[in-house]
Amino acid sequence: MKFKMKLIVFVVAAIACLCPMASSAQDIKLSDHTISFHGFVTQGGIFTSGNNWLTMNTNGGSGAFTEMGLNVSTKLTDKLRISAQVYDHNVGQLGQWHPTLDFAMLDYKFKPWLSVRLGKVKTTLGLFTDTQDLDFLHAFALMPQGIYPIDVRDANIAHLGGDIYGTISLGRKRGSLSYTGWGGHNYASIYSGYPYFLQARGTQELRYDGTQYGGDLRWQTPLKGLLVGASRMNEDLSGFGIRLGGPNLEQSKKDYTNQFYGEYTWRNLIVDAEAKRFYRNHLIRNLTSEDSTNVHAWYVSGSYRFNKWVQVGSYYSHYTITSTFLALTDTSTPAGHDYDKVVSGRVDFNRYLNIKIEGHFMDGYGFGPYPNGFYPQQNPVFANSTRALVLLSSFNF
Amino acid sequence: MKYLKMFVAAAVFGGLALMGVQAAGVKIIVNDSVGATSVSVDDLRSVFLQEKDSLAGAGHVEVVIEKGGPAHEAFLKQYLDKSDSALQSYYRSLVFTGKGSMPKTVGSDAEMVAYVAKTKGAIGYVGGDTAADGVKTLQVK
Repeated sequence: MKFKMKLIVFVVAAIACLCPMASSAQDIKLSDHTISFHGFVTQGGIFTSGNNWLTMNTNGGSGAFTEMGLNVSTKLTDKLRISAQVYDHNVGQLGQWHPTLDFAMLDYKFKPWLSVRLGKVKTTLGLFTDTQDLDFLHAFALMPQGIYPIDVRDANIAHLGGDIYGTISLGRKRGSLSYTGWGGHNYASIYSGYPYFLQARGTQELRYDGTQYGGDLRWQTPLKGLLVGASRMNEDLSGFGIRLGGPNLEQSKKDYTNQFYGEYTWRNLIVDAEAKRFYRNHLIRNLTSEDSTNVHAWYVSGSYRFNKWVQVGSYYSHYTITSTFLALTDTSTPAGHDYDKVVSGRVDFNRYLNIKIEGHFMDGYGFGPYPNGFYPQQNPVFANSTRALVLLSSFNF
Repeated sequence: MKYLKMFVAAAVFGGLALMGVQAAGVKIIVNDSVGATSVSVDDLRSVFLQEKDSLAGAGHVEVVIEKGGPAHEAFLKQYLDKSDSALQSYYRSLVFTGKGSMPKTVGSDAEMVAYVAKTKGAIGYVGGDTAADGVKTLQVK
């Protein structure tokens, strides 16, 4: 066992041992400041029939699904907070236990309607981009993969730069508006889905990064529990790697994401819906070819919490992809779509520990020039449909 | 059968009455340093959801919540419209995205009063019939 792996197992075991005193062991007083520590560990297992999924050999059952994070934060003044989180994961071939800085930032609140965050900041895009790696917050073991794909989530989860954000009250009869404007640089991990996907096509990606900027506007409507919003992200990305023994470049010509969403909460019922268009026009193959990829995705989900222990939910996730380079134009073929019907159950043993069980019934495998959960490395021949059973347990403090 | 019907009716009436008492029976308390005598429902919600960290004309406030109990349930229902599970998830989403922090949590009304009384800028809530010595009670508009 590698030293790093042993270290991680030790940290997980230490955190687990702290479980009984988790609620009281997370704050340290230093001078006038309280320094708070929080963390989480998630362990999952996936069993599939049909295709292997998420870079794991899931047809035989795989438990190579571990995520963890540790964060520290403190208020330096009434208006200035500083916080950072280290994140590590090993999901099949993804992550491979290489820790990353999830965020590290200063947050200064001038006014409720004007605040700034600077540093590495989690990106506000749609309902859940910034929380998609935090399993314990969600009813589902896996978020709708058409919009929140676990294998390429580092492509938009954070940026090195800054946000301007705030909330403006529109009065009791009009609700409130929250806005975020942001910009910065995104460094995708070379242990992420896209570089892994390129390996199957003979490219060893060494770097994939670029400028990202965008905004989010959400309206907490006067109808109690109803939130609606829209997000936009523009990107200018470039990649560098080795292909057939020589250098290989890739460059954005035009990349953008539009996302529209709504959430309705009534007592213990939560209904979410989002729609996304991801357009990606790239010069590829050392800038000698061009590809326009169009992803359209949407989902509708509902979850109901019976009591503090049990929550159930279901969603339908719809994903289609087309590509000019691959001449993939027919989204009715299994390569052009992935339609996922999901049922899920969650049991919370207490505030810190939960377990989820989830069934996925997928039609298609959506294999274009950008990954979507299914890889040829584990699937020499793709099956047209896949069924999956996902088990996930999370501990957080 | 007649007794069973009476029992069910009494239980329903009693339950509704209890819910009504709980919903109406929570009061908002602040440390003496907070220069406000009243707070709007919108401001109260914004402060407890960490959308703002001050009350109009009253400076910075520090939110304190209870771990559970009737006052906590009544407060959530009346002002935040969230269950305890949803509130905990909300705070955790702030913590694990760096966008906020877990509020100070206390175990009872008595602890709440004691903590708010000694902590500059603290704002919390207690049951309507709890003695609130050493703290200020805000009128909710």
